[in-house]
Amino acid sequence: MVLIGESIHIISKDVNEAVKNRDPMVIQDLAKKQTAAGADYIDINLGPAKKDPEETTRWLVETIQAVTDLPLSVDTLNSVAMEAGLKAATKKRPLLNSSSGKAVSKEKMLPLAKKYNTDVVISVITDKGCPPDIDSRTESIMETVALANEMGIPNEDIWVDPIILPVSADQKQVAEAGDFIAILADLLPGVKSTIGLSNVSNGTPDHLRGILNRTYMVMLGRRGLYSAIADVLDPELIALNQGKMPKIVDLIYKTMDGEEIPLSSLSKQEQDYVKTAKVLTGKTLYSHAWLEM
Amino acid sequence: MEYKAPVETYSGKVAEVVIGKSDKAIKIGGESVLPFHFFEGAIQNRPKLALELWDIDPAGWAEWVREPYKDVLADPVAWAKKALDYGADSICLRLMSTDPAGNNASADKAAATVKKVVDSVKAPVIIYGCGDEAKDVEVLTQVAAACSGEKLLIGPVVKENFEPISKAAIDHGHSIIAQTPIDINLEKELNVKLLKTVPPDRIVIDPLSSALGYGMEYSFTIMERTKHIGIMFGDNTMQMPVIADLGNENWKTKQAKVSKEQGILWESVAAVSLLLAGANLAVVRHPDSCKYMKEVIEGKL
Repeated sequence: MVLIGESIHIISKDVNEAVKNRDPMVIQDLAKKQTAAGADYIDINLGPAKKDPEETTRWLVETIQAVTDLPLSVDTLNSVAMEAGLKAATKKRPLLNSSSGKAVSKEKMLPLAKKYNTDVVISVITDKGCPPDIDSRTESIMETVALANEMGIPNEDIWVDPIILPVSADQKQVAEAGDFIAILADLLPGVKSTIGLSNVSNGTPDHLRGILNRTYMVMLGRRGLYSAIADVLDPELIALNQGKMPKIVDLIYKTMDGEEIPLSSLSKQEQDYVKTAKVLTGKTLYSHAWLEM
Repeated sequence: MEYKAPVETYSGKVAEVVIGKSDKAIKIGGESVLPFHFFEGAIQNRPKLALELWDIDPAGWAEWVREPYKDVLADPVAWAKKALDYGADSICLRLMSTDPAGNNASADKAAATVKKVVDSVKAPVIIYGCGDEAKDVEVLTQVAAACSGEKLLIGPVVKENFEPISKAAIDHGHSIIAQTPIDINLEKELNVKLLKTVPPDRIVIDPLSSALGYGMEYSFTIMERTKHIGIMFGDNTMQMPVIADLGNENWKTKQAKVSKEQGILWESVAAVSLLLAGANLAVVRHPDSCKYMKEVIEGKL
């Protein structure tokens, strides 16, 4: 799976400070660490980028490009910041992250993908919010992709984001997201897919988030997920993605297939993955204590 | 060909909790079918009803809830007897005197009151603390010790204080009420933590019962899901009986205070709804609500 490193995020206090003070150290350190860890892209999440959007984005892109050869994922809802970022990201073909089915996004973001010849993330969000089920997600994405095609953006450049909700908030939609990813290849031949992986564990106590993220990555990977914005500084996540933990992957697959695996035959780590897969498939009700059962 | 209606069978069974010792005992839970699905299988223990009383004169209660108890409101023992005369299966004594924001009565005093009530009535007793997390630990552990062996149902235990209260309750032979704020995931989390030291037949789930018109449907959904998850999907952390402690919230509404008739209907509609959602034990305030629910449960309405 193509991994987009999520660590350079304006919500992070260190990153926020560094951007404010134009201090390249923290930013470049994160870029280098993620590159060394095995990221395929570096995400630059600027949030709404209200202050000096053009200058800030340009500075960030250049600061990061100075220390890594990886392509960048320019991640903002501000189209002015987006354009500045894409303009500056000259080293490798960047990823526009993201556009959506919202009217303002169709009007301001999508044209940028064409203008700067980028790959582009298109999420299923519309002006009505996040669609609540597979049918409404399908309806939304078909419409937005058709519009993108009309603008001259081919399916091959489009990365569909189904929008992952936290398992602690909507377990059913988490369990169903795989079905949506699995039908994408038939719905829109050639499109790729991506998700904000860590969102699945939003709201879960910090020390328990990793295993939710990792298990979900394996599950959605099996259903055909092409990429994920993820915590690439988690070595276990990288090991799983590189196929270095085949037994764990096998246990997750078996759990997805409904096989009952006697927990007593497994190590603690293996048990935890099985329990987590059961929660993420919706077989057992989620609670923060799901590993204690 | 003769038509035979399909009948579902389920993998899960709700634990049976006994409240009250020897001849006082009632049983709640124990079912392996959904609420009121008599066509799916036997329901040995039909839902039970408790009437609520306080250990202080409840000055703020609507006059039509005070009226049936007007001579006994300052005397919990007499009040408890009267409630049982009205036909309740059990009584639910709320220790409002202990509220730090009110009278702040001592744990000793509250425990002595509980003991007196328990010794005077021939019915099982449910005890609710005032709801202050810290004070409830003091009060409910003392109550548990003072009434050792009486098989009370004691609560609420919440995420912040479940350890000391559940330990005292279990050590002295009681059962506990596990309370969470109308959230299925938090409900399960508390159950998982409790089940490490407390057997399932000593736990009753209180998902909080909101008033009709003030979110009752949320409580309904949570109780319904609790039953689905426990009985249909066999999740053994969700197979405990459910208590609907609904009088308190319903009688706070301005609608219940408009008239006697409307107040009783307000409480009764909430009660019948939550019984249908799966409550195994309902706590109401007005004797007429109790009477109507009894008729519903016995199939007369």
